[in-house]
Amino acid sequence: MFATPRRDFLNEQAPENYVAGLGRGATGFTTRSDIGPAREGPSEDAIKEALAKRAEALQNGNASDDDDEERFRDNENDEGLFASGAYDEEDEEADKIYSEVDERMDSRRKARREAREKREQEEFDSKNPKVSKQFADLTRALSTVTDEQWASIPEVGDLTGKNRRDRKMMQSERRFYAVPDSVLTSGRGQTTYENSVNPEDGTASTVDGTITDFRQISQAKDKMLGMRLDQAGTDSVIGSTNIDPKGYLTSLSSSSTSTGVDAANLSKHRELLLSVVKADPKHANGWIAIAKLEEQNNKMSSARKFIQQGCENCPKNEDVWLESMRLNDTNHAKVIASKAVQHLPKSVNIWMEAMRLESETANKKRVIRKALENIPQSVTLWKEAVNLEENPNDAKILLSRATSLIPLSVELWIALAKLETADNARKVLNKARQAVRTSHEVWVEAAKLEEKEGNIKKVEMVISRGISELQRRGGMLDREGWILEAEKCEQDGSVATCQAIIHTTLGFGLDGEDQESIWLDDGARSLRKGCFETARAIYAYALQHLPNVIAFWNEAITLEKAHGTSDSLFSLLEKAVESCPGTKELWLRYAEERLAASDVNGARSVLERAFDHNPNDEDIWLAAVDIEVRNNEYEKARILLSQARAGAPTERVWVKSVVLERQLKNLEGALQIVNLALQDFPKSAKLWMMKGQIYESEDRIPQAREAYISGTKVCPKSIPLWLLLSHLEESTIVKCRSVLERAALANPKNPQLWLQRIRVEIRAKNINQAKALIAIALQECPTSGAIWAESVALEPRTQRKPRLIDALKKCDNDSIVIAAIAKLFWSERKPDKAKSWFEKAIKADSDNGDHWAYLYKLLQTHGTKDELDHLVQKFLVANPKHGDVWPRVFKDVNNFQKSKPELLEMAAKAVTL
Amino acid sequence: MGSVFLPHLRTGWHVDQAILSEEERLVVIRFGRDHDEQCMLMDELLYRIADRVKNFAVIYVCDNQEVPDFNKMYELYDPCTIMFFFRNKHMMCDFGTGNNNKLNWVLDDKQELIDIIEAIYKAAKKGRGLAISPKDYSTKYRY
Repeated sequence: MFATPRRDFLNEQAPENYVAGLGRGATGFTTRSDIGPAREGPSEDAIKEALAKRAEALQNGNASDDDDEERFRDNENDEGLFASGAYDEEDEEADKIYSEVDERMDSRRKARREAREKREQEEFDSKNPKVSKQFADLTRALSTVTDEQWASIPEVGDLTGKNRRDRKMMQSERRFYAVPDSVLTSGRGQTTYENSVNPEDGTASTVDGTITDFRQISQAKDKMLGMRLDQAGTDSVIGSTNIDPKGYLTSLSSSSTSTGVDAANLSKHRELLLSVVKADPKHANGWIAIAKLEEQNNKMSSARKFIQQGCENCPKNEDVWLESMRLNDTNHAKVIASKAVQHLPKSVNIWMEAMRLESETANKKRVIRKALENIPQSVTLWKEAVNLEENPNDAKILLSRATSLIPLSVELWIALAKLETADNARKVLNKARQAVRTSHEVWVEAAKLEEKEGNIKKVEMVISRGISELQRRGGMLDREGWILEAEKCEQDGSVATCQAIIHTTLGFGLDGEDQESIWLDDGARSLRKGCFETARAIYAYALQHLPNVIAFWNEAITLEKAHGTSDSLFSLLEKAVESCPGTKELWLRYAEERLAASDVNGARSVLERAFDHNPNDEDIWLAAVDIEVRNNEYEKARILLSQARAGAPTERVWVKSVVLERQLKNLEGALQIVNLALQDFPKSAKLWMMKGQIYESEDRIPQAREAYISGTKVCPKSIPLWLLLSHLEESTIVKCRSVLERAALANPKNPQLWLQRIRVEIRAKNINQAKALIAIALQECPTSGAIWAESVALEPRTQRKPRLIDALKKCDNDSIVIAAIAKLFWSERKPDKAKSWFEKAIKADSDNGDHWAYLYKLLQTHGTKDELDHLVQKFLVANPKHGDVWPRVFKDVNNFQKSKPELLEMAAKAVTL
Repeated sequence: MGSVFLPHLRTGWHVDQAILSEEERLVVIRFGRDHDEQCMLMDELLYRIADRVKNFAVIYVCDNQEVPDFNKMYELYDPCTIMFFFRNKHMMCDFGTGNNNKLNWVLDDKQELIDIIEAIYKAAKKGRGLAISPKDYSTKYRY
């Protein structure tokens, strides 16, 4: 045995009828409801079984010592014994017998029992007497007391202190306390009418404890007003309204155009309008308004009904009829129109509307004739009638009739004139002129007629006659009016009339002083409208009167160049130089135009003539040199220059000479000229620069350095000179730095110098030094886009974009920064974006050749041929001069005589990302 | 064949007495048929550890077909079920299987069974009704 229990139960017999688990009070459990039923303790069956077995055992007479129920039953209460039985007749009889027995028993010895009970009561009473009975003998004596005696009985003193307590109570009840304000205000709030005023922010003024809330008062007033207005909207159905109907209608018509009116408003409007038309049914606008309201509400039938009522009520109002016609369909509208015409035979609008309702021309004609019968003076009707006629002859007849009826209508006269043949037209216009003496239109029309007939000379005459006539009779237009007329004529194709008008009227009512500016304005305005003939005429007139004003010549030349032929341009230029021979701009321009027309000899002759008038003018000299150089006549150019040096020894002439020599690779000659020039102009930075450059190109570095240094001594403010020197010294970085520092000392806050210093460091791979310099440079020149761009290039890739945005803000959209953004996009392989940003850069600064070069390069790889051509075209127009790489390319003497597109291509090769 | 050596409880009264009579040790009762395969394996295991745990546990077997009184009460529907009692209290153990009332699968490691019995005994001695199994069996017996 492994287990050794205390009691050797294993060998004992189990008792009979034992219920397993019951003996130890075992309880079961439910792990999961689907495994088995949840049972607590021994099962019912088991217990029942056990009970049955026990009962069996009892019958066998084994043991009955545990009959609990019998033992503890209440003996007195046996109602439960037969409680289950039914109450039948026998039971009733038995109860009756029992009650009779009780009665009988009660009646027996009744007298004796009652007597005994009475005696017992008395005995009890005597033993326990009442209080009143105890004092009965004493109170009996009181019956003898008289009233006086009663009255003279003395009051007992307040022995118990009861009176005092009562008094205290009374006093305490009478005591009052001040009620707190909060209670009062809350009580007020409970009873008063809430009127939406917020007491928190109310402006209350407290004077002597009384509170006057003005805000509350004014709000109450507003509220009252609003309520009255609301009432006016609803109450006025009764008939009387106190709203000005006209004012309300106008406001309604402005508001009702919006379709999104909410339903509540609509019904309110409708009621109001109803009251309006009821109050004043003769008021046509009310009817129209209500009909429109219904129409907006998509209630066409009711709209028609209203407008019909309106027509009945206000038959003399044209608008009501028109509205009615509009609201009805065509057939009904015709009927309405006929009614309307009956009421209002003189209304042009109704006739027109009626005519429009007809679909066939014949019917229309009929209507319009009827209308004309009624209203023969209406120009609109006549015009309409003429328009309806297809046959010109009929129209002519109509118009002649019309003009006889309405002789003052210029339009009709003109229309008639237009229809007639030339001779008749002239007659018609003459008649018209006699009829309407103040109309300029007739005169202009006459002039146009003459022009059409080919009598150009007559045009001028007609106009001048007309103007004198108009001045006499009145009806003269002002200057601007005439110019407008002229422009109209130009648009009609009558150029001669236009010119004639301008010629005769432009000088009208102007002082000599204002003329120039006013005429310039007039010309510019006409040009803006695209009326070139008018503008030309204005300038021609102006030049005729003020031939010495260069501005007019310039304007006129620009106009001719843009919109005229080359012959007219040259004739104009010829005229210009003739009238202003002392103005070299005009000469130069003339020569330029000649050259542009590839007329070299013409240009030469022009310049020769220019020399005659302006001897020894450096501009003309240089222009002449330019022409020679462009045509590869270098010897001639040299001769010209030497002449110029002798005649007009200016700095520009010297510089030009040197440049030419350099371009022709004649370095010795160039050096000679430079030295000569420097004797005359020792302060010219350009000459010093060129001297240095010549030495540099000859590889004579020490001489070049000397030239630059002496140049910087004389012109310390010349940045390019310093830059050239620094370039020269860049082989030895220390020297280069010192040069640049000296330059910076002489020219503080110069972004170009800073840029050079930064770049020198970058080229020498001193990135940290470069960064430090950038930081200082950005402090000194915070708006320099170039320095910002340089700083961005040194940033790590991820930080470039935010830095660029920063730069863009700081430099106010500097083109170099924009270009830097474009470059960033390019490096990120976003050519589209890069292109758009380069274009922005070009837009911001079209004078910077670098941007063009970059865009050219971009388009070479990512663009089409068309785009490239387009770019080159724009480039030629912009003709940029500045930048970083571009000047180097186009000023390089090696690139002499190369075309601009070639140069651009070279620049595109030179630029790097 | 371990069941031969383990004390058998023949009636419900014997089961009750076995539970009631033990004052200091854990009562481990295996319900199931002696000839059932799982029971045979389990009995073998129980027999082999019986001597080792005798100081704190006593092991009985009970044929739940012979004594059907507890089948409903203790949900004895598995072929082999082991239940634990201590001082007339049913001891529960969190095996991680979701059924904390009994151990109704076959263990194959003696030490595991010893550990379980020991854990339940320790919990019981501390007055707890629920012991935590030293090993989580949820991965093995998924319901």
